Amino acid sequence: MAVTIDPIEQFELKPLVSLGHIGHQQLAFTQSALYMFAAVGVIALITIVATSSRSIVPGRMQSLAEIFYEFIADTLHQATGDGGKRFMPLVFSLFMFVLILNLFGMIPYSFAVTSHLIVTFGLAALVISTVVIFGVMKHGTHFFGLFVPSGVPKPLLAILVPIEIISFISRPISLSVRLFANMLAGHIAMKIFAFFVVQLLLAGAWSVLSPLPLFLTIALTALEFLVAALQAYVFATLTAIYLNDALHPGH
Amino acid sequence: MNGDDARGGNGTEGTPTDSELSARLRRLETQIERKRPQAAADPSTRPRTNGSSALGQAMTLSTEFVAGVIAGGILGWIVDHVFGTKPWGLIVLLMLGFVAGVYNVMRVSGFSGARPERRDRQEP
Repeated sequence: MAVTIDPIEQFELKPLVSLGHIGHQQLAFTQSALYMFAAVGVIALITIVATSSRSIVPGRMQSLAEIFYEFIADTLHQATGDGGKRFMPLVFSLFMFVLILNLFGMIPYSFAVTSHLIVTFGLAALVISTVVIFGVMKHGTHFFGLFVPSGVPKPLLAILVPIEIISFISRPISLSVRLFANMLAGHIAMKIFAFFVVQLLLAGAWSVLSPLPLFLTIALTALEFLVAALQAYVFATLTAIYLNDALHPGH
Repeated sequence: MNGDDARGGNGTEGTPTDSELSARLRRLETQIERKRPQAAADPSTRPRTNGSSALGQAMTLSTEFVAGVIAGGILGWIVDHVFGTKPWGLIVLLMLGFVAGVYNVMRVSGFSGARPERRDRQEP
């Protein structure tokens, strides 16, 4: 009996409700959108409902919400100082959204929304456009001093400024690709190693080896939980660092 | 005993210790000040310390590098399309993107240690 498996089948988008067509492209409410709505619901549950009692001695849910809030507030303060407080809603929302979506992806048979590049790139584009728009609004043309490294002889600037600009443009790309690649690679690796167990069990005498990939799968699952939380944290931290450039441009 | 006598013999006992204390306080302040730029520079090197595992660091560095090349490529393609300089924009900007990728990696890995320091010196 030959069992075949497609490790990237899990990332397929399945339209749930069709909303019509634009050209040949179908517009649909996919399971990805459903997971995003579910994530927003869970975040609302954690933040709004859990803190509605506003008790001085927090309950279980309230202390969970407070831990998340304090954690992100600390991270933001370290990266941007006092001026960064106004970005707290943005960074906190991004962190919670990415974290909850990553953790949703860890539920068996579920779908990892953040393993789609367009989703992570959308979030990264939001961050970088906030940086550019806020930077230009606050500092005007002085914001573009970000691209001119100081203490460099004039002729070198002709080469260094384009490099700095490309480096800046590469930020949303690296921000989105990092999250996307981590989630994609992790989920594919888990699927493949889990499939090794099945394949070895079906391979006659070789089935004595089947516990090995099983242990590896368990270890990978633990690692993936770590990656899910870590990548959300990295996303929030890098967002804060980029926002710092908008607040204090010019090096 | 001898040390005690020497201290007791000091008629103006309160003032020397006070100035000594304030000197010590100033020394502590300068020490803290010296520490502070490091703490401020810390966020810029954050991605490096974040990759708790070697795998995470490898992932971070490779994405930084690839992102630089991709950004250069996209920019070159756009320049070619807008100005009609068919292959040259892509060639030049792809190479610059390559440099930017290496630059990104050096910055994230903290290889170019001079840069954040220089930034701190200029900010005040």
